[in-house]
Amino acid sequence: MVEVDTKDLAFKWGKQRGVGGKDKKVRFFQSFSYGSVEYALYDCVYLYGEGETEPYIGKLIKIWENPDKTKKVKVLWFFRPREIQYYVGVEDTAKDELFLASGEGAGLANVNPLEAIVGKCNVVCTSEDSKNPQPTEEQLRTADFIFYRAFDVGHCRILDKIEEKVAGVEVKFIFNRVEAQEPNVVLELDSAKKEVFGNAVASNKTEFPLKKNPSKEHTTQKSNVISINSLWKENADTNTSLVKQKSSLREQPAYRIRVESKISKTNDRQENISLDKSALRSVDFPIKGEGRVVKNLVRNEEKLKSSHDCNELEDRPSENVICVRIEEKVKSIHDCGELDDRPSKKAKLDCSVKVFGDKKEKSVRKLPVDLSRHDARGVGTVIDFEDKSRLKLVKDSRGVENGPLKKLKLDEKTKPFDGKNFVKSEKGKSSRDCSELEDRPSKKAKFDGPVKVLGNQNEKRGQKIAVDSDLIDAKVLPVVTACEYKYRLKLAKDSQVDEKGSSKKLKPDENTKLSNGKLPRASPRQFADEDKKFDHQIMEITRRPDADKSKWFRAIPWEDRMKSANELGTLVLLQNLDPAYTSAEVEDIVWHGFKENCRAKMIQRTSISSPHCGLLLEVPELLASLRRNQLFLAILLLINLDIRCQGK
Amino acid sequence: MGSSAAQADYAAFLEKVKRTIYLDNLSPQVTEPVVRTALNQFGAVKNVQFIPNYMGPRNIAECALVEMEDVRQAKAVLSEISQFPFMMSGMPRPVRARPAQVEMFDERPIKPGRRIQCRWLEENDPDFEIAREMKRLTNKHAAEAAFLQKKQLQEEEKLAKQQLDTLKGNYKKYEMVDSIMADGTARRLARHYNLRVAED
Repeated sequence: MVEVDTKDLAFKWGKQRGVGGKDKKVRFFQSFSYGSVEYALYDCVYLYGEGETEPYIGKLIKIWENPDKTKKVKVLWFFRPREIQYYVGVEDTAKDELFLASGEGAGLANVNPLEAIVGKCNVVCTSEDSKNPQPTEEQLRTADFIFYRAFDVGHCRILDKIEEKVAGVEVKFIFNRVEAQEPNVVLELDSAKKEVFGNAVASNKTEFPLKKNPSKEHTTQKSNVISINSLWKENADTNTSLVKQKSSLREQPAYRIRVESKISKTNDRQENISLDKSALRSVDFPIKGEGRVVKNLVRNEEKLKSSHDCNELEDRPSENVICVRIEEKVKSIHDCGELDDRPSKKAKLDCSVKVFGDKKEKSVRKLPVDLSRHDARGVGTVIDFEDKSRLKLVKDSRGVENGPLKKLKLDEKTKPFDGKNFVKSEKGKSSRDCSELEDRPSKKAKFDGPVKVLGNQNEKRGQKIAVDSDLIDAKVLPVVTACEYKYRLKLAKDSQVDEKGSSKKLKPDENTKLSNGKLPRASPRQFADEDKKFDHQIMEITRRPDADKSKWFRAIPWEDRMKSANELGTLVLLQNLDPAYTSAEVEDIVWHGFKENCRAKMIQRTSISSPHCGLLLEVPELLASLRRNQLFLAILLLINLDIRCQGK
Repeated sequence: MGSSAAQADYAAFLEKVKRTIYLDNLSPQVTEPVVRTALNQFGAVKNVQFIPNYMGPRNIAECALVEMEDVRQAKAVLSEISQFPFMMSGMPRPVRARPAQVEMFDERPIKPGRRIQCRWLEENDPDFEIAREMKRLTNKHAAEAAFLQKKQLQEEEKLAKQQLDTLKGNYKKYEMVDSIMADGTARRLARHYNLRVAED
């Protein structure tokens, strides 16, 4: 007994059939042995069903081992009449009859772990097909189940003929095996004889432990009860219709044989009552047919879906990888969409796949990020070079542009220097003029010192006096005698006293000059003055043709005349001049003051110019002396005073 | 006959003065065509005359006398320029405008009926000292004006330099931005930092 127990736990692989196509580590086998029982490909076996009182029945189609040492089998299912009653509503089927799954859809075949196999089962095909070897009476007697019809899983209907291929399996493997069955039968007979109790189960090739036998006996007892009920039903049917009678007649021999075998089993059961008490309790479990059938089908569907999904999931990660590798955002978006579209039931698998895919995507995304970073750096360097080159070009262009600007600046620098030099020269002249003005009283003192005066000096003094008189009274005087002249001078003096108090000082000067001078000398002075007066009148007349000439000379640009005058040294700047004067007026004034013609131009008044404007003159060389300039400046200052006095 | 002709000429001159505008604070780059183009939006420009600068430095602002067709246009120009900043080519200097005065014209006729008297002064004359004092004040005012002008020019040069630096910086900035957009660096950076940037 101890040895038997150890043997039962042993598992061995039989003959290896081949290697997997996708994964070479997967090994397919022809057979295996579990304990003392040997299972071969295309054998019918019982499979454990959770929550079911009766196990499932299926045919082994594939047997393999995965690389992770997990053992799998693919099973082609058989349906009990109770399981498909919901869809078909069959009532005339035998209780020992099974329906082979066929067609396409859920419930046809399924992958299950190898450990789910409970034991072997003897199923005999009683189809009248030519390919099917007909079973013998002994085979029918020892068979647990029979089948001769198929159940289309897709259309949910019964087929009278079995298809050529079902789930990829040929018919010859589905039908009875002639050669294989005979030695099995012989072995069973031998084992039956050896047993003491004479109890034998056709499906068992070797002895099972005593504990397991009672459960099977009880199952057979149930089937006996059910079969009796069916016989009653069949009898009733024979009374109603001929067709049913024919079917019942065909089935009678099978039931008679089964009745005999069941009687013998009941006898054996009575002997083992004491040992099977615990097993009786399991028989009392309630039976739920329709609900469980539906659930089973649903479960099968789920299993099939899960298997398909597993296959799809296995393929999808590779596709995701490919999509990610292609680095196209559109495909990745579609993949995300597909992942999102998956049902919630597959959340675990989908989550794992998502995580895997996300990881791959992240890892792949990092690569383009790195590449983009490198590219960005490279592009950045290129940009830097381009920017540098552009900056250089800009600098070069700016340098080129700055060239003329620099030249302009140099020109500007030179110009203000010229202006400054001009101003400095003017300042020097003005300072010299001031010094000469200071020197004047000493010279005049010398002149006043000696009693005797030269004729030339007297003439100069006479000229000054004449100029003053002419300026004071700008009237044309007729020729008069000496007495009348003296009288008129007195009248003039009186008028001056009345009009201007400032002119009183002039009187004593004139008196002193007259008293100091001799009369015969005074007479030629008077004549000279008269001559000059005449000359003055004539000069005024001649000024007009000068004005006409000036009109003619206006054609010459003033800048050119300034340049030439500056070169010759005849350019003079007058300051502190009333801006109301015009150029022509200034020319007249100069003519009256110096008896010389000149070209004058008033500087235009602007907001930036100094409040006391000046005048640019083109003066002959004789009048360009310092002394003359000094006198001229004095005259101009006086003119301003006179005008302002008149204004007041 | 001469006096009547002189009066007619002087009256015509005064009429010209009324429709003439004095423009100040002009950039050195401003020329006669620029002034004509700028003021043609207000009316027809008859004549443009730039007042030359004989005394001061060359880089000070230029002045111009612009003669319009009629007095109404001249007043329109004055009102617009006085209300809003008006700029011409070159530096962004606002142009100043005011009515022209008689003293601003170089070739103007002699005013008829004017009487001018002049005489020589002796050193002992009391007016001589007054004239001398006037001369000194004139020189002082001229020096002060020159100094103020110099300071103003320095300020203008400083402002011009600042404007040039700002302009250079802005130009460089915009050039960099344009190059980044053209080379595609902006799009790459936007993708890297997961930002949305319009293609334009």
